[in-house]
Amino acid sequence: MAKTNQTAVDALLPLPLAVFHMLLALTEGERHGYALKREILQRTNGKLNLASGALYGSINKMLEQGLIEESEERPDTHLDDERRRYYRITPLGRRAAQAEAVRLRQLVRLAEDSLGLSDPA
Amino acid sequence: MDRARRIYRLMLKLYPARFREEFAEPLERQFQDDYRDAQGLRAKAWFWMSALADLAFSIPAEIAGELRHDVKYALRVYRQRKGTTLLVLVAMALAIGATTGVFSVVNALLLRSLPFRQADQLVELFLPPVNSLAGREPFQAWVRRTSYLESAAGFQVADMNLVHGQGAVRVRIAETTADFFAVLGVEPRIGRAFASDEDLPARDSVTILSDALWQQMFGGDPRVLGSVVTINGTPMTVIGVAPPGVDFPGRTALWTPTAHDPERLPKTGAFTSRHIGRLKPGVILAQASLQFENEARAVHPDDFQSNNLNRPYLYSLRDRLAGTARQASMVLLGVVGFVLLIACANVAHLLLSRITERRQELAIRGALGASRARLVQQMIAECMLLTLAAAVGGLLVAYWSAWLANSVQPSQLAAQQYTILDWRVLGFALALAAATGMLFGVLPASLIGRMQPSGDLARSRAGANTSGAPRLRTALVAMQAAFTLMLLAGSVTMGRTFLQLLGARLGFQPAQAVSLSVALTGTPHEDPKLRAQYYADALDSLRAIPGVVSAGAAEYLPLTPDLFFAAGTFRTSGTHIEQQGSINTATPGYLAAMGIPLLRGRDFTPQDRMAAIVTDGFARRFGGAALVGRRMFAPFNPKALTVVGVIPDTSYRPGGGGPLQVFVPAALGMPVNLTFVVRVRGNADAYLPVCRDAIHAVDPQVPVFSAKTMEQRLSESLSAPRFYTIAVFFFGCFALLLAIIGIYGVATVSIAQRTHEIGVRLAVGASPERLRASLLQQSLLPVVAGSLAGIAGAIGLGQLVRHLIENAEPVGVYPCALAAVVLAATAAIAIWVASKRIVRLDPNQILRAD
Repeated sequence: MAKTNQTAVDALLPLPLAVFHMLLALTEGERHGYALKREILQRTNGKLNLASGALYGSINKMLEQGLIEESEERPDTHLDDERRRYYRITPLGRRAAQAEAVRLRQLVRLAEDSLGLSDPA
Repeated sequence: MDRARRIYRLMLKLYPARFREEFAEPLERQFQDDYRDAQGLRAKAWFWMSALADLAFSIPAEIAGELRHDVKYALRVYRQRKGTTLLVLVAMALAIGATTGVFSVVNALLLRSLPFRQADQLVELFLPPVNSLAGREPFQAWVRRTSYLESAAGFQVADMNLVHGQGAVRVRIAETTADFFAVLGVEPRIGRAFASDEDLPARDSVTILSDALWQQMFGGDPRVLGSVVTINGTPMTVIGVAPPGVDFPGRTALWTPTAHDPERLPKTGAFTSRHIGRLKPGVILAQASLQFENEARAVHPDDFQSNNLNRPYLYSLRDRLAGTARQASMVLLGVVGFVLLIACANVAHLLLSRITERRQELAIRGALGASRARLVQQMIAECMLLTLAAAVGGLLVAYWSAWLANSVQPSQLAAQQYTILDWRVLGFALALAAATGMLFGVLPASLIGRMQPSGDLARSRAGANTSGAPRLRTALVAMQAAFTLMLLAGSVTMGRTFLQLLGARLGFQPAQAVSLSVALTGTPHEDPKLRAQYYADALDSLRAIPGVVSAGAAEYLPLTPDLFFAAGTFRTSGTHIEQQGSINTATPGYLAAMGIPLLRGRDFTPQDRMAAIVTDGFARRFGGAALVGRRMFAPFNPKALTVVGVIPDTSYRPGGGGPLQVFVPAALGMPVNLTFVVRVRGNADAYLPVCRDAIHAVDPQVPVFSAKTMEQRLSESLSAPRFYTIAVFFFGCFALLLAIIGIYGVATVSIAQRTHEIGVRLAVGASPERLRASLLQQSLLPVVAGSLAGIAGAIGLGQLVRHLIENAEPVGVYPCALAAVVLAATAAIAIWVASKRIVRLDPNQILRAD
């Protein structure tokens, strides 16, 4: 059972950058689309600004792949109190984010060895 | 603000249905927020640009994603019904392929660019006020005076003997004015075009070769420039070679600037002077033609009759080049279009049957929240997948059919091969597939809207026909029947006409006969005193071949394409009866070689000079008096001819009657062109090389051409009618097959849907036979209705058959009746077979399942 799950996760790697960021943000709790965009913008110091179409396109894909699922709609009291659709991460999404992180760590290790970079203190 | 939002909302509609349902709201909201934040014109402009860029990337990505989804789903559905899907696929592939194949012909003839600069500005001038033969200055002066012509050139076409080194061939030559190539806008590939004064009489004899001749005779050697070729005995220097694909007018091998100087190249026979021109930019053809006609009438008010054949006119050059093949290919396109529609109707049947089968599934999906738009999108994707896959197969069919068209009726311009490797043709095939996919996918999909999900869930087993599917099916069957009937009636008509052509009495025996031609202009034997000897030697040489039964020769043979007769008025001595007759020349032995029987009198002897042999039709015009032995005055000789024999009429064109002919002995007429006919024992094909060699042996400098068996000539003259008849017949049968498949399918589905009702009836005591009969009646109704519409269509459009076979009778009552009977009979059989399953139905089982 675990083996098939692993293959399912492996098939999703490597995760696109936007997807990875969104999964990371969702590990901290449920978010709606606009909040995700704002959070990622903040985390990356303004480097990754997702346009609406790309944002919801990614959300759509993640829904299809089962990485996230819809939560119920409720108003965002931090914003303008309008009802928005919230999303939360699924166990598969969590595993996928972990696998991606592991992959990136292995990649960085390989780079450090090849390029002779020392471990940051 | 509001306007921006509305624009954005409009653009969001480009997203696929499902994505739109889910995310249109947050997208719009975000747009609103961001738009509010952007202050100032510059920020707003930047914002719009980034929003558009975002959509430009996102929309195609989403569409592609949904498409992939739909396609996977569609493939799964099709895989479950492999048999039917394959059948429909093959039918569509054939239909699309045939349509594309015919379109490639239309494309080559009408749409593709000619190898001339701005070819749409080129016209052919028919009966201009000033002919190029009138001289260089008068012609050019007239051209300058017109308000609609930028330039014009004249030309005459003739076949002549070309000698280079030891070889002699018969080639087509165009004698043109100096600016011929300039008017067409063609630059020579090597060398130069004619100088603007090179058509003056005193200039050197120069010529430009066609690319084909250059490759064939000179192996493409660029050193051909400056070498000398001899045309009909006149040496000419080669100054250039035309680019490949240029051979206007029609298979021309050489051009010489001798249009104003007809004496330069000796030739015999009548020639027609033709003219082309280039319209001034911005001038409309219709306008120019009107002005042209008025000018011509002003100059020669009495010459022209009001009939179309003799009217001065400006034709678009493209239309002239396409010729009669243009109308024929358009008619064929229509025929094949009907077949395509019948095939598409079967696709629609397939989709309809699956909609009603999947009604439960679709109802559930609808209840779960899939919108109508989403389901329609799915249906369209399924249908398009089918038609596009069929289009790929169809391209293969088109490729094969284009090859077939090429071999049967070679294109009128060497450059314009029928090919599918042309973006217009490929685009047509794709557009056709997409259009039929849309149309016949949307039609059944429109029924989905009429299904109420909850009601259907409950009632789906009862099979209530609230969705309107049966009505649509009936309409489709009627349409298929109508088109099939039209095609069948057309096939029968063309078949009858063609059989008439085949059976037409020829008046001679084409089997076991060989024909070869020579032309003596420009050869050492051109002198009339030497001609007789040459012909005598050639005939002796032929008669010496073992296996030859008889040999003779004549100036004109039957079944020669593009034949012009010399004609004149004859008068018998002692009467006042005058009669027009076509004049032909023949040697003794011609009649025996052709297998033409003598009705009265005898053949020519070598001693005959002032003698004549006439055809029966001619003789009868003289009041049926016995003409043999009577004297007759011919238009070309003051001395009287004595009629020595009468022969039956011989037909000179397929299916055409024989002209009223008068034959005179070769010794009198001494023609410069002659065609030999040799009757042989056994297979005529085997004698072609040896006969050619025999004549060649008399003088190698005289080219021998057109060596064919008489049966080949006959076959060639019938090749176009044969092709069209076979094509229409094939399409008619194909259409019938497709229609029957459709009718069978509809009957099967009808039974399946009404299983419950049938079960009840059987249980109550109705006999299976009566039920089958009633089903037959009901299913035949749309077929009959469609047939009536088809008959009306066939008679209405029946005239068009004339474009495919000359002088065909329009579609009449008999072919329509025959077609209707065939259609009704095959439909009845199909329905009866389909209804066999009624017999196997067990009423108890049906009622219990409820």
